[in-house]
Amino acid sequence: MARPFPYTYISCPCAETPTPDPSAKRTSRDLSSKKNAGQSAASESGEEGDEQAFDPRSPRANFSLYPPEQLLFCEDCHQIKCPRCITEEIVCWYCPNCLFETPSSMVRSEGNRCARNCFTCPVCTAPLAVTTLENTTESHAHQGPWILACGYCMWTTLDIGLKFDKPTNIRIQLSKIYENANGRKASKTVSGLKSSLSTLSSMSEQLPGPDEEGDDGSRNPKEQSQLDHNARFAALKTFYRNQIAETSASPTDPLGSDFGAIFSSPSALNRIMSIYTSSTLGGPYGAAAKKQKSKLPVMREALTASEGLKIPPPDAERFIIERVTSPDCGWDGLASMDQRAFQSPDARFVDDLRPLPVLLRTKRSKRCKSCKHILVKPEFKPQSTRFRIRLIALSYIPLSTLRPLVPSPYPGQLPSSTTSPSISAPSLDALEPSKPIQFLLTLKNHLFDPVNVTLATPSLTPGRVTSKITILCPQFELGANSDVWDEALQNATATADRSSRSGSGFEKVAEAGKVWDKGRNWTTVVLEVVPGTLPGSSPRPTLQLGGKKVHDARETSDKWENTSPLREDEDVIEIPIFVRLEWDSENQMIEQPMGKGQKPETIKRELAYWMVLGAGRIKSEDASL
Amino acid sequence: MPPKATKGEYIETDTGNKISRRSLIHGPQHIILGGKTVIQADAVIRGDLFRLAHSTSSSSSSLGGGGGGKEQSGSAAAAKTASPSPSVAITLGRYSYVSKQVILRPPSRLHRGVHSFYPLKIGDHVFIGERAVVEAASVGNHVHIGKDVVVGSMAILKDFAYVLDGAVVPPGMVVPSWCVVGGAPARIVGELGEGYGVEGADGGLARDRYRMVGR
Repeated sequence: MARPFPYTYISCPCAETPTPDPSAKRTSRDLSSKKNAGQSAASESGEEGDEQAFDPRSPRANFSLYPPEQLLFCEDCHQIKCPRCITEEIVCWYCPNCLFETPSSMVRSEGNRCARNCFTCPVCTAPLAVTTLENTTESHAHQGPWILACGYCMWTTLDIGLKFDKPTNIRIQLSKIYENANGRKASKTVSGLKSSLSTLSSMSEQLPGPDEEGDDGSRNPKEQSQLDHNARFAALKTFYRNQIAETSASPTDPLGSDFGAIFSSPSALNRIMSIYTSSTLGGPYGAAAKKQKSKLPVMREALTASEGLKIPPPDAERFIIERVTSPDCGWDGLASMDQRAFQSPDARFVDDLRPLPVLLRTKRSKRCKSCKHILVKPEFKPQSTRFRIRLIALSYIPLSTLRPLVPSPYPGQLPSSTTSPSISAPSLDALEPSKPIQFLLTLKNHLFDPVNVTLATPSLTPGRVTSKITILCPQFELGANSDVWDEALQNATATADRSSRSGSGFEKVAEAGKVWDKGRNWTTVVLEVVPGTLPGSSPRPTLQLGGKKVHDARETSDKWENTSPLREDEDVIEIPIFVRLEWDSENQMIEQPMGKGQKPETIKRELAYWMVLGAGRIKSEDASL
Repeated sequence: MPPKATKGEYIETDTGNKISRRSLIHGPQHIILGGKTVIQADAVIRGDLFRLAHSTSSSSSSLGGGGGGKEQSGSAAAAKTASPSPSVAITLGRYSYVSKQVILRPPSRLHRGVHSFYPLKIGDHVFIGERAVVEAASVGNHVHIGKDVVVGSMAILKDFAYVLDGAVVPPGMVVPSWCVVGGAPARIVGELGEGYGVEGADGGLARDRYRMVGR
C-alpha cells in the first residue's frame, strides 16, 4: 500500500542482526548488557551522526521498514518484532465468503477450499451468487433450477451448461455432475483395473517388451478418456508409491533407500531398519545382499491407463489449434493464463473453465521467534476481531505523527473553504525545492512511565537528492500515559489550547532547543526540512548543489549520473531519524535482572530504533510531473 | 493547518454531525447519523431509496439508536408510505467520514420478481474516500474505503476491512476483517497489521479527522 504523505515507517532492528541469536537477545533485558550488536552500533552511529546512518533508499531497507501498526513487541526480549521475527500458528481456517469455520480435520480433504456454497467466478474471480432461473412472483417453496451467477462479469454456470436442483450443497452437487460427465464407467474401470494393477505391474516388471506396449496402446484410447483428471492423479500417485516401495525393498540398497527417503517417508523407516539389519547381518551376508540388489526391478513409468498413463489422441493438438484459429473462438474464447492457473491442465478455452470453490483463509497466532512467547493470539471465532493477546509495538513505542507547520510568510496560500479538507496547507506532494518547510513532529507516549527521548538524524538525507534536515529540539521528555478518563478530561482543554495556538500560529516562531508544544503524554518538536533540488530538472542549481554534496562519493565522481533522469520515488523526502528512548519502569518480570545497583523495584529501560518519516515529494521544476 | 472554511460551510447538528451545505441528501427522514459524522460537499446520500413497506414490517429502528440524532429536516416523507415511523434507508455510525462526491446508495435486489431496496448500514470510524460509490449491505467499524472505489450491491465489509483506492468490490462480496482488498474485481491482496485501528495510528484517526473538519 502506498501511503499518503506524511507517513512513518519503523525499521525493525532484526535487519542489523542477520541471524536471530537468542542469547544476544536475552542479554538485552537489562541495561548493563543491553547493547547488543545491532543496537549499540546503531545508537553510536546515530549519536555521531554519520557513516552508519540508516539509509531508507538502500535496497535492504525495504526489508526492514514497516508501518508501525504492523510491528509487534516482545516483552521478554524487550524488542520490536517485525513479521520476519515471528512464527505463526494457525488458529482456525475459515471461508472468507461465508465466514464459517472449517475444522482442521476437514481442511485437507476439502482441498483448502470451502465445502459449502461459496464459489468464485473462473473468469473474473468475483464471488458467485446462487440464483434461481425462474423469477416467479409466487413464493413457491419449490423453485426452478438454480445456477451460479457472477455479479461482476455476468458469467453464469449456464455458459458451461450447469444447473443445480437445490440451492444448497452446491459443491457436492457439482462433484456429482463432474462424475456423471466422466461416466460412471470410469470409476468402475478404475476400481476394476486396480485389482489387476498388481499383476499387471509385476508382469511388466520383467520386461516391458514391444509386444506388450502395442497391446497397451490398442487398449488405451478407450480407457483414458474415461479417467478424469483427479482419478488419474490418484492412480499415478499409488503407482509411484508402489514403484518406490518395490524398487527400494532391499534393505541394503543405498540408492533405493535414498530415493525412498526423498519420495516418501515410510521408506525412511525402511532405511533406518536397514541400518540395523545390515549392521548385524552385513558381514556374513554381504555378498548375498548384493546379489539380491541386482535382481531388484528397475523403476519404471506408468504404462497403462489404470496406472495413470494418458496418451492424448493424435489429433488432439490439431483439434485445439483449429479451434483457436476458428473465428468463433477468437481471443475472448481463450482462457487466460491467470484463469488457467487454477483450472484443470486441459482447460484451454473459456468453455472449459469451472467455478472454483473459495480458498480458505486462516487466523493465526504469532510467537516471538527467539523466545517463543506468544505475541498475538486472536479469538478463535472467525468473525471475531478481538484478541486474547496482542502485544503491538504501538503500545510500547511512542506514536509519531508529522504535520506541516503552516508557513507564516504565505498567508495568501491558505486554501479557500472549497478545497480539500486535508490538514496541510502546503501540498506535500509538491514541495518547493530549496525552500525551507517546517514540520511538527509529535511523539505520543503510551507507556505509563515518563520517557526521555533523544532524536538524531543525518543533517542531509542520504541519496542523490539531498535535503537538509534539522531537528530543532532533539532531546525532550514525554510525560507518562495515564488513565483514559484523565485523557478525555484533559483532551478538551488540550485541543482548545492547540486550536488557539494554531489560530495565532503566525506569531509563534520555532526556536532551536525548545519544545514546540507539550501535552500530558505528548510532545511536539519542530523539524525543519530544506528540500533538495532534483537533478535533471534544471542543470544550473544541480551543479551548484553538486559542489555541496561532497559526502556522496558516487555523485562527485560521476557527474553524468548527477544529471541523469530521476529514478522512481527519488524525489520523495524520506527522513531517517534515530529514536532512543530511556525510561524507568517497574520491573514486572519475576526474574530479577542483574541490575547495576539500582532499586529492586525500578529498572532502567532503553529502546532504540530507526524511524523513517516520509515528509513529501519535491516538486519538479518542469511542472509537468 | 486546517482549511479555513467560510462561515457555515458545515451545518453542525446537536449530536455533532458536520454536514456540508453543498451535499445532496435525499430523503433525510430515512437516514440516521450516529453523531460526529462528517459529510463533505457534493456527497450524494440516497435516503429516498428505502424499502417500500408492503406486508413486511417496516423496521422501526428510527429511534435514534446509538445516541444518534435523526435528520428530520427538509422535504416531507414520500406520500406512498406515510407511515409514522419511516423505514431506515441509510445508517451512518459515529466518526464516520463521507468525502466529497461520494454516493451512498442503499443496495437493491430482485427477490421473487420484486425489486426492493435494503438498508445500508455503515459502522463507526468508517472512512469513505472521494468519489466512491457505496452500495454495500453493511460496512463494519473502522473500515477504510479508498477513493474512486465502487462497492457493489449487497457487499459486506466486515470490521477493519480495507479497500484500496480504485478497487471495485463486486456485488455480494464479503470482505473479512483485517483483509485488504484491491483491484477490479477486488480480491484479497493482504492483511492489516494487528495495530491497525489503534487510536491515533493508521486506521484510528477518525477523531482527528472529525476535529479538523470545518476549522
